[in-house]
Amino acid sequence: MMQIINKRKYFYIVSGTLVIASLVVLSMWGLKFGIDFTGGTEMQVKFSQNIPDNTVISEKLKELNLDSLVVRKTSDGTVNIDYRNSNDQINTEVFGKIQEMDKDAIQLSTDFIGSTVSGQLKSSAIKSLILAILGIALYVAWAFRKVSRPVKSWKYGLGAILALSHDILITVGIFVLLGKFWGVEVGVPFIAALLTILGYSVNDTIVVYDRTRENLLRAGVKEDFEDIVNRSLNETLARSINTSLTVIIVLFALVLFGGESIRYFSVALLFGVTFGTYSSIYVASALLVTIYKHQIRAKS
Amino acid sequence: MKFSLVILLALVAGVISYPRAVAKIPPIYNTVNTLKIKLGLDLQGGFHLEYKADLSKVDASKRAEALSSLQSAIERRVNKFGVSEPLVYIKKSGTDEILVVELAGVKDINEAKKNISGTPLLEFKEEQIDTSNQIPQETLDQMNVQAKAKAEDLLKQALVPGSDFSQLAKDNSQDHAAKDNGGDLGIIKKGASAPELNDALFDPDPNFKDGSVYPKLVETESGWLIIKKITTTGSGDAEEIHAAGIIIAKYREPAPKTNYIETGLTGKNLKKASVDYTNQALSEPTVSLQFDTEGAKLLADISKRNIGKPLAIFLDGLPIVDGNGDGVINELDPPYDPIIQAELTNGQAEISGSLTIDKAKELVARLNEGSLPVPIGDPIYQQSVEASLGQASLTTSLKAGAVGLAIVLIFMIIYYRYLGLVASLALIIYTALMISIFKISPLTPWGITFTLSGIAGFILSIGMAVDANVLIFERIKEELRRDRRLPSAVDEGFKRAWPSIRDGNYSTILTSLILVWVGTGFVKGFAIILMVGVVMSMFTAIVIVKIMLKFTLGEWAEKYPWLIARTRKNNEISPKK
Repeated sequence: MMQIINKRKYFYIVSGTLVIASLVVLSMWGLKFGIDFTGGTEMQVKFSQNIPDNTVISEKLKELNLDSLVVRKTSDGTVNIDYRNSNDQINTEVFGKIQEMDKDAIQLSTDFIGSTVSGQLKSSAIKSLILAILGIALYVAWAFRKVSRPVKSWKYGLGAILALSHDILITVGIFVLLGKFWGVEVGVPFIAALLTILGYSVNDTIVVYDRTRENLLRAGVKEDFEDIVNRSLNETLARSINTSLTVIIVLFALVLFGGESIRYFSVALLFGVTFGTYSSIYVASALLVTIYKHQIRAKS
Repeated sequence: MKFSLVILLALVAGVISYPRAVAKIPPIYNTVNTLKIKLGLDLQGGFHLEYKADLSKVDASKRAEALSSLQSAIERRVNKFGVSEPLVYIKKSGTDEILVVELAGVKDINEAKKNISGTPLLEFKEEQIDTSNQIPQETLDQMNVQAKAKAEDLLKQALVPGSDFSQLAKDNSQDHAAKDNGGDLGIIKKGASAPELNDALFDPDPNFKDGSVYPKLVETESGWLIIKKITTTGSGDAEEIHAAGIIIAKYREPAPKTNYIETGLTGKNLKKASVDYTNQALSEPTVSLQFDTEGAKLLADISKRNIGKPLAIFLDGLPIVDGNGDGVINELDPPYDPIIQAELTNGQAEISGSLTIDKAKELVARLNEGSLPVPIGDPIYQQSVEASLGQASLTTSLKAGAVGLAIVLIFMIIYYRYLGLVASLALIIYTALMISIFKISPLTPWGITFTLSGIAGFILSIGMAVDANVLIFERIKEELRRDRRLPSAVDEGFKRAWPSIRDGNYSTILTSLILVWVGTGFVKGFAIILMVGVVMSMFTAIVIVKIMLKFTLGEWAEKYPWLIARTRKNNEISPKK
C-alpha cells in the first residue's frame, strides 16, 4: 500500500507553490483576453501567391489606425490579422487593403465582436463560473449528506472545492504564462474549458470520497481515520489514473491533430484534467485528514 | 434475448452511422443515406451576423409586431441570395433584441451584408412605348411581295405531277407544327376554318380530287397557303377533309415593347403607406400612399402626363408583389402597375380594385420596406468561415477523434483484457449511437447542429465514456481478489460502482447544463454534445456492457483467469510498501 496521506506535507508544498505562483503571475500580468472579451476582429486571410512579410502587411494597414494590430502567420500558410476596433465597417476596409496587395486573396474566416457583445460575453462568463462553483459545492454537500461521522458532510464539500480551486488556479496560471510569452489569448472557450474541468475533476474527488465513506461505515472502531482514508485512496488509485488516462489520451489527440481553432481549448482541458487527477489523489483526501485533525485539536 | 437486442441496436446504429456498409441493399441504403448530420457554419462554411435592433423609436406596445416584421423583411432580402436554409431569427440578449442572420455558402460577405442592412430601392416607374423595333410600311410591303412570289413559285412546284408535297412542306412551310408532318393540317370540318381556306378546300370543282393540290394560291389574313386534299369523308354540310398545307407567313408590324422608365419618384419620397377600409360597403380595402413635398410635386407631374396609363411599382428592380402567385417574387412576375385614374395633386394616391385584405397588407408591408420597420445599423457580431476552411477543420478534427478512439480502445484491451474488449465494443456502439443521434435529431424539434466545438465535446465524451467501465472493472477485479466467484463478482462490480458513476456523471451534467444555459455558440455546441454523450455513455457502459458480459462470461471463464487480470497471489494492487 502506498503511503500517500502521511506524505501530505510534500504535496501541500508542491500544490501551494503552484497555486501561489499562479496567483502571483495572474496579478502581475493577468490573462491576455481575446476579442470575445475585448471586442475586435480576428481575420484569417489566405494569399493566392507569396505571403507578404508580416511587417509589409502591418505597414499597409497602418493608415487605417487599427487598435493593437497583430499580424501573425499560422502553421497552415495563412495569415491572422487581429485588431481591437469595435465597428464592422473597418473589417471591409481591412480586407480591401489586403485585396490591393493580392486581388485573389481569400478571407478564410472573420470573427468580429462588437463591444456590446463582448460586454455580455464577459458578464455571462463570470455568471457561469459563479454558478458552476456554487452548483458543484452544493452538489458535493448533497452527495455526502448522509455522512456525518467523524467529518461533517459540508467538510467533504469544502475539501472538494479547495481541490477544484487548486486545479482551476493552476490552469489559469499556465494560461497567464502562455499569454505572456506566446501570445495565447483566452476567450469564451477557455471559460467553457474551466467549467468542464470543474465538472470532470470533481468526479475523481467524489469517487475517492465515496470510497472513504463506504470504508468508514464498515470500519471497526480501532482503525484510524487517517488509515481509512489512505486505504480508500489506494483502493481507488488504479481507477483514478485509468479514467483520467483515457480522457488525457483523447485530449492529446485533439491538441495534436484537432487543428488550430480548438487547440488551446484542448490544452486548457488537458492541463485542468491532469492537475485535477493529481489533486484528487494527492490533495483532496489529505485535506479531509487535515480538517479532521484540526477538528480534534479544536475539541481538546 | 437481451443480448440479441444489443446486437440489433448495434446493427441499426451501425447502418445509420455508416450507410456505405449496406450499399449493396439499395432500399435500405437509399433511406438511410438521406440522413445527414447537420453541420454548423464553422464546418460547412458560411456566416453568422448579429445586428442590434434599435427599438428606441418604437412604441413599447408595438415592439413585438415591429420585430416580427423586421424579421420577415430581412428574410425576404436573404431569400434573394438563393442559399439553402437561410436562418433569420430574433434573440434576446440582456435587454437588447438581436437580429441573427445565418447563411451557408455565400461567397461575398461584404456584398451580402450590404444587401441585408442596406435600404432596398422602391421605385415608381412610368410606361414608355418603345417603337425602336418598328418597320416602315413600305419596307413591309416589299417584303410581302417577295413572300408572295415565293409562295407562287412553291405552288408551281407542288403542281408538277409526281412532286413530293411532304418534302416541299418540310423545306419551306413556316408552320412549325405541321412542316415536319408533311404539312398535315389534320381533319377540317366544313365551315370551321378561315373563310378563304374553307372556300378553297370545299371548292366543288371536280378536278380538285383527293390527293391533288389546289391549283390556286389561298391568301388568308396571316399568309399564303398551298393546300393539298388528302381524303374526303361525308358529304354536304357534314363533309370533312383531311388536308395538308404549306404556309408562307405575311410580314406584319411587330407589337410595340413596353418599358418602364424612372420617374424620379422613389421610396424616399414615400412617407407612409397604409391599408384603408374607408369604403366599407364595397368590402374591398384600398391602399393609400402619402408622399412628401418633393414626392407630391413629382406625382402631380407624373399623373398629369399619364392619365389612363399605368404607374408601375418596383422594389429592388423586381415587381413589388408576387403577381403570378407562385410564392416568390422574381423576373417572371408581371409588373405591378395600377392605372392612374386622375391627376394627383395633393401628394396622396390610392390603389383600389381587386385587392383582398391580405394582398393589401402585403403590398403595404412591401411599400414600407424601403425603410426597415426597425433600424439595425452595422453588425455587432460577425463570424464567417470560408467553405474550404470548414472542410479542413472537419477533416482534422475527425482525424483527432479517430486517433483518440483507437488509442483508448487499445488501452482498454491491453489493461482490462476480455473486459476491455467488451468495453471497446460498447465504445464503438456508443460512437455509432451518437452519430445516429446526430443524424436523426434534425428530424425532431431538438435538432443537434454539429460544430467544431461539438466535435471536441464528442471526442472528449469518448474518453469519458469508458470511465464508468474502468470503475466497474476495477470493482470486479477487487471482488475477485476477495475470492468471489466470477459471475457474482461481475454482478457485485456493477452494483457497487453505480453510486460513484452516478455521482460523478451528475457533476459533468450539471456544469454542461450551466454552459448550455448561459453560453452561446461555441460553448453551447460543446456542452450539448458533451451532455448527450455523458447520458448515452452511461447507457452503453453500464447496460450494454453488463448484458454482453453476463451473456458471454459464464463459469467457464473461471478456468482462464488471465482473461480478466494478471494472475498473482498478492491481494494488493501495488506490492510497493
